[in-house]
Amino acid sequence: MTETAASAPKTVARRPARRRRASAARLIVYPALGVLALLVFFAVFADWITPYDPLKQSLMEALQGPSMHHWLGTDDLGRDVLSRLIVGCRIAIIAAAEATSIAILLGVPLGLFVGYRGGWWDWSVMRLVEAIMSIPGIMVAIVIIAILGPGLHRAMIALGILFSTSFLRLARGVVLSEREEVYVRSARVVGTGDARILIRHIFPNVAPPLIVQATLTVGAVLLAEAGLSFIGIGVQPPNASWGTMLNTAASYMQLDWFLAIPPGVALVLTVLSINLLGDVLRDRIGRGIAVPAARPKAPKRPPKTAPAAGAPGRRPSPVPAPDAVLDVAGLDVVVTAGAGDEVPVLSDLGFSVRKGETLGLVGESGSGKTITGLAILRLIGTTGRITRGRITLNGRDISDLSERQMREVRGKEIAVVFQDPTTSLNPAFTVGEQIAEILRTRAGLSRRAAMARAVELIGRVGIPNPAERARAYPHELSGGMAQRIAIARALSCNPSVLIADEPTTALDVTVQQEILDLFRDLQEEFGMAIIFVTHDLAVAADICDRIAVMYAGEIVEEAPVDTLFSAPRHPYTAGLLAASPHGATRNPPLPTIPGTVPRPGAWPEGCRFAPRCPHAAPACDAAIPLGDGGHRVRCIRADTLDLRRSA
Amino acid sequence: MTDAPLLELRDLRVSYRKRAGLGLRTTSFDAVKGATLTIRPGETLGLVGESGSGKSSIANTVLGLIAPAAGTMRFRGTDLAALKARYPSGLRKDIQAVFQDPFSSLNPAMTVEDIVTEPLRVHTNMTRAERRARAVDLLAMVSLSEEHLNRHPHQFSGGQRQRIAIASALALEPKLVVLDEPVSALDVSTQNQIINLLYDRRDALGIAYLLIAHDLALVHHISDRIAVMYLGHIVEEGPADRVYTAPAHPYTRALLDAVPDLDPAQQRARRARRRQLAPQGTQRHAETGCPYSNRCAQVMPRCRSDAPPAYAVPGGGTAHCFLLDPGANGAGHASDRKEPALP
Repeated sequence: MTETAASAPKTVARRPARRRRASAARLIVYPALGVLALLVFFAVFADWITPYDPLKQSLMEALQGPSMHHWLGTDDLGRDVLSRLIVGCRIAIIAAAEATSIAILLGVPLGLFVGYRGGWWDWSVMRLVEAIMSIPGIMVAIVIIAILGPGLHRAMIALGILFSTSFLRLARGVVLSEREEVYVRSARVVGTGDARILIRHIFPNVAPPLIVQATLTVGAVLLAEAGLSFIGIGVQPPNASWGTMLNTAASYMQLDWFLAIPPGVALVLTVLSINLLGDVLRDRIGRGIAVPAARPKAPKRPPKTAPAAGAPGRRPSPVPAPDAVLDVAGLDVVVTAGAGDEVPVLSDLGFSVRKGETLGLVGESGSGKTITGLAILRLIGTTGRITRGRITLNGRDISDLSERQMREVRGKEIAVVFQDPTTSLNPAFTVGEQIAEILRTRAGLSRRAAMARAVELIGRVGIPNPAERARAYPHELSGGMAQRIAIARALSCNPSVLIADEPTTALDVTVQQEILDLFRDLQEEFGMAIIFVTHDLAVAADICDRIAVMYAGEIVEEAPVDTLFSAPRHPYTAGLLAASPHGATRNPPLPTIPGTVPRPGAWPEGCRFAPRCPHAAPACDAAIPLGDGGHRVRCIRADTLDLRRSA
Repeated sequence: MTDAPLLELRDLRVSYRKRAGLGLRTTSFDAVKGATLTIRPGETLGLVGESGSGKSSIANTVLGLIAPAAGTMRFRGTDLAALKARYPSGLRKDIQAVFQDPFSSLNPAMTVEDIVTEPLRVHTNMTRAERRARAVDLLAMVSLSEEHLNRHPHQFSGGQRQRIAIASALALEPKLVVLDEPVSALDVSTQNQIINLLYDRRDALGIAYLLIAHDLALVHHISDRIAVMYLGHIVEEGPADRVYTAPAHPYTRALLDAVPDLDPAQQRARRARRRQLAPQGTQRHAETGCPYSNRCAQVMPRCRSDAPPAYAVPGGGTAHCFLLDPGANGAGHASDRKEPALP
């Protein structure tokens, strides 16, 4: 659930970077496509457009430079270079098509098969592939040609076999990962046969990276063909190919250097165009092959408008309570979405946490609870932006600190514990090292002192034999143990605020209970304020002092824990309580809230819950402020509704 | 519900082989250590346990994705265990599944029509038009419509995807549907929509469910019977209400106590009481005797040496715990037992 919550903004965030690159890519794509179109045109119409017969020798005109008669000059036998170049296009295309299709037709089915079948098949085929790949490609090609004999087609068969190994590995790799996907399990439960699962279910997911691989292979084949022809075992003289032309040029380098230019330029342009197209395709498809992430841009200084009144339904943010450790006021956050528009993900967010207090942020996926935590840490990526509001930490506004200053704040003043301890810890270091590293860089402890303190912390979070456990790697620990380590790490610099983002969601209930107890004990000892993000109201009931219920990017209700559960005032809170498995009656139909949480950008005007609310009235179309006091609620009918749970 | 059992597992064992060292030796690990369970036609059995308890291994074995190491699995008279995970078509279509994660259980490259009609394509001779017509009916049954047929899974929310998965699972009108954590990936407000849908279909079609979940409170809502697993063993089994309100096995009680409650005041009281309990062993699994003996607050000497057999529990069902042994010192504990779990 939280994963979706976290990934929703992330996907939104990824797009603009891709867009920027896409518009830059367009500048390259068209010339590249132009080059390839010209290549195809030449190949198809070579017979009509060549000014001379490419094989016709005329020794009288040998080794001439470019002239009106021979635009690109003539070679050692007086043949027209331009004509030979144009015919070479045809050879290039035939060669590329031949070798690439052989590579695909041979590599993909075999890769799919061994990947799916596994076992002995997989083992022996992969050893063979490794053997082929360990020998220089040109050697393999020469061996195959030695067996088959020289000539373009045979050379292409050789290259096809050679390049099939990369397709085989690609297809096998995709199958190995897709085979474990739940949809493949579903297909097997349905009774779909293996062949059908491979072709109908898995193959479509292999296709995107395959297309990319094919374009790259075409480029590689062109170069390899040129290479083979150059050393005389590809296209045989007198036939023209770029490789044989280069061969000729090499022999007459001293006499006529220009001979090397036309085939060289043709080769470079073609391969470059194809590789560029492959890159663009890879970015477009974006699946299967890793795309390096866009470099984060320097954070833009938010053009902040004063967090003053003026916007409808918005109150002037009050001065932070004097005892508040963290105070968030009138916070608006937007992320840049697909078409370049900024989509609001948080609006008019305001709350404060006191020392030693636990505030729960409760909501479903899409409510903005996770992004709230990230916004406080200013970890909202390259595309998220705080457009308005103030985040006051220990009396200092941190909403417009520079990235460098912010780095000082993170870990030291605000720490965070994430949902999945197995991925939030670095698998390459022991858990002790990971805690000690923070102590060394942040608290300036010596190596020895940092390690001693790390062991102490590990003991403090309830792990037996801390000195021994400090030397363990994250994968050697159970989920509960790993989460304890993550908590120890978060507390290492004694932060004043701890953001816990669904820290128990990935754990079993009995372990969850232990971790919740640990949070309480540590809070008593360290006195930090905790912001506890969770989707589970019952967990919030256990750990929190105060709860803010979030819906569609805003807080809809905030109250002390007992009040919220005994007398909820917002219909959404009441709906969640009723729908909770612990709250509902024994038999279905269980109470539900109709519909789903609207996505950012699709929030209704006025009360965002109104379309799903059983108590909606016409007045709900207008923006509604959150109200004041100890029990804040964003509902226009809050005073007239009785939403208390019937016992 | 007095008919012959639909599915009967007896002493089912599921093992996984693990490569050790350089991959030359293999070690074997028992995920399920002798499970005995019965599901009657139209009945819902909730199978509850924590991660690593073996509940998903049972699901995968029943579905024929893993061949069991030992024991029998009798489904309408056929021993599934003897088929070594190669089910004939007739059996396949009677046992279907809905998996946990609706984001990965639907093939991203297929359309909703392809997904929903896949079972029909494999098991029936229906024409394309007939299959499409049936798909429309199935979608209507899960409150989706014809316009959704040509869309891809990524265009739907989690709850909608789970509806599509359910439509596909019900396409062949199976006798048994294995629900592997069907709502744990969904939002609270959508969870109940899916549960209501499953419940409604069960009554309309007379399907039996094997519901795998970690949340006892949720399982209690829709199960007729509940079985509780701990480290490969089924430690307690019985009518849902009895197991939920009067758990007989200390582990079931601990599991119930750990489920957070919506009442903060009760939560506080419960935490205070929980903390007074003796510290529990850190080694989860006891090598001999009762598997829970290392963590049990009421452990007795014999728990460490002998494996407890199944004792009948007042109110229905059985539990593997010596506290229930009528011959031994069970009397003192009997009064405790009638009490519900800590409030």
